[in-house]
This record gives sequence, structure tokens and C-alpha cells, in this order.
Amino acid sequence: MAEDLVLDTAIRDWVLIPLSIVMVLIGVLRYFVSKLMRSTQVPDGKIVKEGQVIVRARNLRAAANFIPPKSFRARRAYFSNEENGLLHVPKGQAQNPQAQMFSDPNMAMDMMKKNLSMIIPQTLTFAWVNFFFSGFVAAKIPFPLTQRFRSMLQNGIDLSTVDVSYVSSRSWYFLNLFGLRGLFSLILGEDNATDDAQRMMQMSGFGFDPTKNLGAEKDGLDIVQHEWALPKFEQRAEAVLRKLVS
Amino acid sequence: MVTKTEESQLNKLENQVENGGGGAWEYLCLARKLKVRRSDKVLKYGLSILNDSRKRSSLGPDEWTLYEQVAVAAMDCHAVDVAKDCISALQKKFPESKRVGRLEAMLLEAKGSWEDAEAAYSSLLEDNPFDQVIHKRRVAIAKAQGNISAAIEWLNKYLEIFMADHDAWRELAEIYVSLQMYKQAAFCYEELILSQPTVPLYHLAYADVLYTLGGLENLQTAKKYYSSTIDLSGGKNNRALFGICLCTSAISQLARGRNREDKDSSSDLPSLASAALEKEYKLHASDKLSVLTSTLKCLRVSS
Repeated sequence: MAEDLVLDTAIRDWVLIPLSIVMVLIGVLRYFVSKLMRSTQVPDGKIVKEGQVIVRARNLRAAANFIPPKSFRARRAYFSNEENGLLHVPKGQAQNPQAQMFSDPNMAMDMMKKNLSMIIPQTLTFAWVNFFFSGFVAAKIPFPLTQRFRSMLQNGIDLSTVDVSYVSSRSWYFLNLFGLRGLFSLILGEDNATDDAQRMMQMSGFGFDPTKNLGAEKDGLDIVQHEWALPKFEQRAEAVLRKLVS
Repeated sequence: MVTKTEESQLNKLENQVENGGGGAWEYLCLARKLKVRRSDKVLKYGLSILNDSRKRSSLGPDEWTLYEQVAVAAMDCHAVDVAKDCISALQKKFPESKRVGRLEAMLLEAKGSWEDAEAAYSSLLEDNPFDQVIHKRRVAIAKAQGNISAAIEWLNKYLEIFMADHDAWRELAEIYVSLQMYKQAAFCYEELILSQPTVPLYHLAYADVLYTLGGLENLQTAKKYYSSTIDLSGGKNNRALFGICLCTSAISQLARGRNREDKDSSSDLPSLASAALEKEYKLHASDKLSVLTSTLKCLRVSS
């Protein structure tokens, strides 16, 4: 089982390198197409305001010890007041954000466009790779693998005695798919449309859930114990001045 | 706020360009990134690049950003014709753009036709009600016309939506101070301290407002904030040092009738502050030292 297959260098010239080049080109093409198709998104009023409220509440929590206790209490009441506090979300209004996303036509269109621009090139390239580059060993992975990976990496090769380290070009395609992300961020700058894996991760943990954030901020604010730090500053100022004057 | 390193870098570039060493484009880019307001320099160097058609074409697509930057700088220096040329060039290239529309409205504002500018801004806001810059320009119009109450109203409405914008809070605080509405100004300064607690400027301004409001509790709080300013600025802030001395004397004047238990342990602070002040004056303004010592003696006598 441990025989060393000698792979033709022609494989490297005609399979590995062209495949990488094609994937880079397709990525660049997708980037430009996405730039053309991107519609300007009018920011939703409620979300903007809630974002700002959260920032302000967070600042309050972080620097609470710098303002006098009375002001802090007044602000806390302003935020977490039961009736009209900013952070208070009545139970009924806690909407399911997914439903909201789908009901907003603009956002749904945007999502669809983004999905399409990701899925179609992937599918096409995958089909192309399968059609042209299947049925032979393309590369050897430098480290040994277990037998479990055989079905994933060797699907075109119908010999079961070949070492699992010898993989087909499909695995090279997947390797490129995830590996070229770094290259794209170099040549296209940050925020390019080719961050597929990132987008997939984003889609799984969906989005901006303002109601939960507000509730979390309110709880955090309620917990804060105000300990006015200013009296300590008098002593520190004394120390500073003493050093300055002496 | 711009950090010290960035500021020194900017100044270095400025000197370099001033003395004919080239690098005008980098200076303009840095000024744009840091959002500093050096409009006369920007105008001079920007125009020199724009008028030279060879340098202009070498900029590529950044040419239009430069047009925008120079237009704003020209309006700042009241060179309205220059601004008009830049804006018409931009208009030819981007006919339906909101950004150019904003510049046009700013031009109307610079020329002084307030109603037209306000109408233009309102129509732009209808398309995009969350454009922060346009909201702030509306406040600026109201302020320039002298209509301070309208400015306050607009600014409050803006802050209701964009409450994390600390520049707006600062502007509101200064407007309130100019109108002597010190309680509201104190609130605004508290907001600023909350968002940026390590900037001594806000502590100082807050202490000033508290001292002006008066009353024993406010004076004691003011003293604490003056000391925090001293701590944050490393003892170099003369205004805070003066503030400490004045607060101490004012507190003791008020507390003369009451029990002296408020004479807290930091009783060294006023004497230290006056010593630091004397040292500063000796260093920088030794001719005024006698005035200072007599003033401090008066303050100490009454305490």
C-alpha cells in the first residue's frame, strides 16, 4: 500500500495550475459583477436609531464611574424605565428577525442576489472540474490520512488500494476555494464579494437582532453599581502636582 | 480627535510642501483622512494640482475626490468662484449624484442664500433621511442666521436619532454655554465624558460649567473634576490649577458658617496647585509672577 506513485508533471502543468488560474479569474469576475449589481441600501430608520442607542448605553455602562451618581441614576432611569425607557422592549414587539427579513422586499432581493452570485459560479466551476478533470490522480497530499477521507477526496478514482494521500482534482478545487480567500483580500482589498466561507458563516448565525441586543444592554445597565471614581482623583492630582512641584 | 503622531506627521508634510519639497498629494490625502480643517493650505495645494493638467490626469479616479475636497476648502476660504468651478466640473461628470447635490447646496449656503440652501437640503433629506452631514448643515444654517433656538431644536432632533455622535453633543454644549443654559450644558458635557472619559478637555469644561452654576455641592464636584483634569493632563493645565484654587476659596466662603468637617483630607491640594502655578509662571511669564502671587494670597486670605 505504501508504494509511491510517480505522477506525471503534465498533470501539474495542465490540471493544477490552470484550475487555480481559472478560479482566481472567476473570483475577480464575480467581484466586479457584484460591484455592478449592488444596490444602494437605504438604512432602516429603526435599526439606525437602535444601533446608536446601544452605543450610548454601552458608553454609559463603561464610563459610569466618571459622572456624578445623580446623573448616572437619571440616565439609567431614562434608559430602562418600564414605560418609555429606550431600552425597554415590550414582550409583544419582539419580532422574529427572520420573518422581518423576508417581509422586507428589498432585503430579500439583496439576499437572493448575493446568494446567486455565490452559488452559480461555484456550481459551474464544480461541474466543469468534474467533467474535465475526473478519473485520475491529481496530487499527493504530503501528510497521511485515514481511510475515512477516501470517499471525499478520491471520488473519481475507482481503485480502492490507492493510498488516501493521492487525491483527485475535486479536492484541489475545494482547497483552492477556501485557500484563495487570502489571495483575494490581497489583490482586491478588503470587503470583496468572494468571501464565501465568511458569508456562509454569517448566514448561519443570522443577523442583526436588535431586540435581543437591547434587552441585553438593559440587563447590563441594571447590574451596574455606580462607584464614583472622582474623589480618588483628588488624591491622584495631589500626587501628580507634588511630583511636578518638587 | 487626531492623535499626536498623526498631527506631527501632518505638520511635517505641510512644512515639506511649503518649502517646495513636493508631496502635496500625500498631504491632501492625510488631511482628508484625518478630517482636519486646514482649508487655506488645502486650497492652495489642491488648486496647484488641479490646474496642472498633467498632474491632474495622473491622479486617475481620485481626481474627483480632490475636486470635492478643494470645493469645500474654497467655500471655507470664501473663494466662491473657485468652488463654483470645481462643482460644475463635478456636475458634468456625475449629473445625478447626491454627493454633488450636497455640494451645490453647500455652495448656496456659502453664498448666503439661506432659503434656497434650506430647500435644497430638505429635498436631499427626503431621498435619504439618514444622511448625517446634511442634518448638521441644517443646524449650521440656523446658527449662521443667528437663529440659535432653531439650531438647538434641529440639533436636539438630530441627537434623538444619532445619539452616539459626540461632535454633535459638543456643539450642543457650546451653544448652551453661549446661551447661559448651564444645566443643559452640564448634561451634554456628561455625555461627552461618558463617551470619551480620558479626554481632559471635557472634564475641564464640565468643571467650568459646574463652577459657574455655583452652590456648595456643585463647587465640590467642580473641584473633583478639576483634579481629574490635572491628573489626566499630567499637571500641565493651568486653567485647572486656577480652578482648584478658586473652588477652594469659594467653598470655604460658602462653608464658613457651617461645620468644618468638609475640610477633607486633600487640603494640600490648593497649596500644591498654587505652587505649581507659580512655577509655571516663573518659567513662562515671570513678569506676571507678582500679580499671580498677590491674587493667590487674596484667595488664600479669604479661605
